[in-house]
Amino acid sequence: MRSGLKSDIFEKFAALAGSISNSELEGWKQQGGKVIGYTCSFVPEELFVAAGLMPFRIRATGSLSAGRADDYFEAANICSLVRHCFNKILTGEYEFIDGCVIGGGCDANRHILDNWEKSEARIPFLHRIFFPHSSGILMAQNFRNQLENLKQLLEEHFGLKITDDKLRDAIVLCNEIRDLQKAIYALRKVDNPPITASETIALVVAGYSMPKEAYKADLTQLLEELRCVTVPENKKTVRLMVVGPGHDEPTLCDIIETMGGTVVTDLTCYGGKTLFGSVREADPDPLQALADYQVIDRPLCPKNLDAHPIINREVMDKIKEYRVDGIIGQSYLCCETWGGELFLLQKELKEAGIPMLRIEREYTSDSLGQVQTRVQAFIETISGGLL
Amino acid sequence: MVVAGIDIGSTTGKAVIMIDDKIILGKIIMASIKPAQTARLAIEAALENAGLTAQDELQYIVSTGYGRLKVDFGNENISEISCHAKGAFHTDPEVRTIIDIGGQDCKAISLSAKGAVLGFEMNERCAAGTGRFFQVMAKVLACGLEGIGSPGNISPTAATISNQCSVFAESEIISLVNNDVPLPDIITGINRAVASRVSGLVRRAGLADKVVITGGCYGNEGLVNALEQALGLKVNRLPVNPQFMGALGAAVFAMEKFRAKTTETQINMEGAK
Repeated sequence: MRSGLKSDIFEKFAALAGSISNSELEGWKQQGGKVIGYTCSFVPEELFVAAGLMPFRIRATGSLSAGRADDYFEAANICSLVRHCFNKILTGEYEFIDGCVIGGGCDANRHILDNWEKSEARIPFLHRIFFPHSSGILMAQNFRNQLENLKQLLEEHFGLKITDDKLRDAIVLCNEIRDLQKAIYALRKVDNPPITASETIALVVAGYSMPKEAYKADLTQLLEELRCVTVPENKKTVRLMVVGPGHDEPTLCDIIETMGGTVVTDLTCYGGKTLFGSVREADPDPLQALADYQVIDRPLCPKNLDAHPIINREVMDKIKEYRVDGIIGQSYLCCETWGGELFLLQKELKEAGIPMLRIEREYTSDSLGQVQTRVQAFIETISGGLL
Repeated sequence: MVVAGIDIGSTTGKAVIMIDDKIILGKIIMASIKPAQTARLAIEAALENAGLTAQDELQYIVSTGYGRLKVDFGNENISEISCHAKGAFHTDPEVRTIIDIGGQDCKAISLSAKGAVLGFEMNERCAAGTGRFFQVMAKVLACGLEGIGSPGNISPTAATISNQCSVFAESEIISLVNNDVPLPDIITGINRAVASRVSGLVRRAGLADKVVITGGCYGNEGLVNALEQALGLKVNRLPVNPQFMGALGAAVFAMEKFRAKTTETQINMEGAK
């Protein structure tokens, strides 16, 4: 058991990540603050922060059913993460948001907007931006134009002005937060990491659920404390990396760590995939800096036609950096975007001699017995000689 | 040394006791809704067959199968994939591919020449290609599982079963029955449909001779015949009841673990002197 952690920040993060509404959010609203929801990691939070809005990333935490949402989705090929998120919207759990921006990272995600407009759930501001299909200067310009349009719409709707200086300040703040998250992630490179996979998921999800300045303060204190904690030396475990789409709840990681593995890093849409490099801070055109970051520097979404070699390189780098023994490629049923990506990745990892386990599952924690067996067998296979 | 392995599957519970290198099988116990209770019944049957009177005489117990985490008297649990591999390789060191078809899942396991698991594949959550599928089909055809597995029901003119979902396949088979398609043709079609699905898993896991079948469906001659056709290799029977292979593997692990533990204790004691 870890010792030396003075604050209860992990408990606070777990509480924030374990529900949709939370005390930090309520405090913000009570002070008259506005909240803007969004989906997809490429929607730049910096724009909302510059507008003085609190960004809140839509998730489906605690959802047990997508029954109401299923009445809206006409196609059967919509992943359960999207269906459960929309169900939360329909059941009123996102009534606190004052607007929402849907990122069309995948087609299933886009359907949230279509169905929201048709549904009885009302929202005063609803907008969609598209993530380009490929990288490059033209695509970054296209994305910048979409951000310019979104900026104007936010200014008109909320009656505010998003200046370039405010944008640059927001970029600096979000870069600082990313750097702190990266520093905490890096603590898991050692043999006995001071944080568990569940705590890491709570840490990143909390960041999407509370005001950014307060989050930065918490991260700063937490990092300082974590650098001083002592962790008893445990027996050698299998070091694993999780790769795949949005992963906002800890069930799978808990199974992995209960079965004798240690999740040391990830490349998932709520976690490691967002911790890539930094946005240019002093750019004369901050919108272009944001667009370049998402489209050229960090095109880590498999929807992007140029993403595969970058995802592959990122995974291979992380394998070396974090001394990863094996990869758990998890995705939701019907997620063709990640399904194809993980298929390619598995083939390449096999050639490189890195074992990978593919798990296709539903958002809700069903068929745990199957997942437990496969994860345990995977860990046993990697640790072969130890058995 | 006296150790035990317990395999609590979705449909049955099995236990194996090893007294040094001697293997004693228990009985097939139908699984109840309480895995711990099934485990106790399975171990009692094995103790009786081994001529032992009390569970206390077991020096190490490893559990496996879906109910492995619920066996409250075991020393540790190991996945059924590792246990089937261990049991089959212990029984026949020439085994390189294991097809395990149990009550509610099927697995393909590829082994190295040293018995290490090189790869494995499992069916996803649906019951297609499992013992449950055969149970449903046997009920529809009113022929019992014996009828599905009977070599007398292997037909050269198999019906095509296009659905592998238990629910849809049931409707398809009712249509075949109503069209007076002969029973052996339907049964062969069912076995071929399952073999086709399972052979896909086997190829993904890695196919190599020698192939063996374990799990409760090992006795289905029609399925074994269809698998041999689909894989182009002989599917062999193990000399020990293949339904006990998970429990046997758990028992072999228990023996290895207990020996290692005993050796470690001796080294520590000698060091202390």
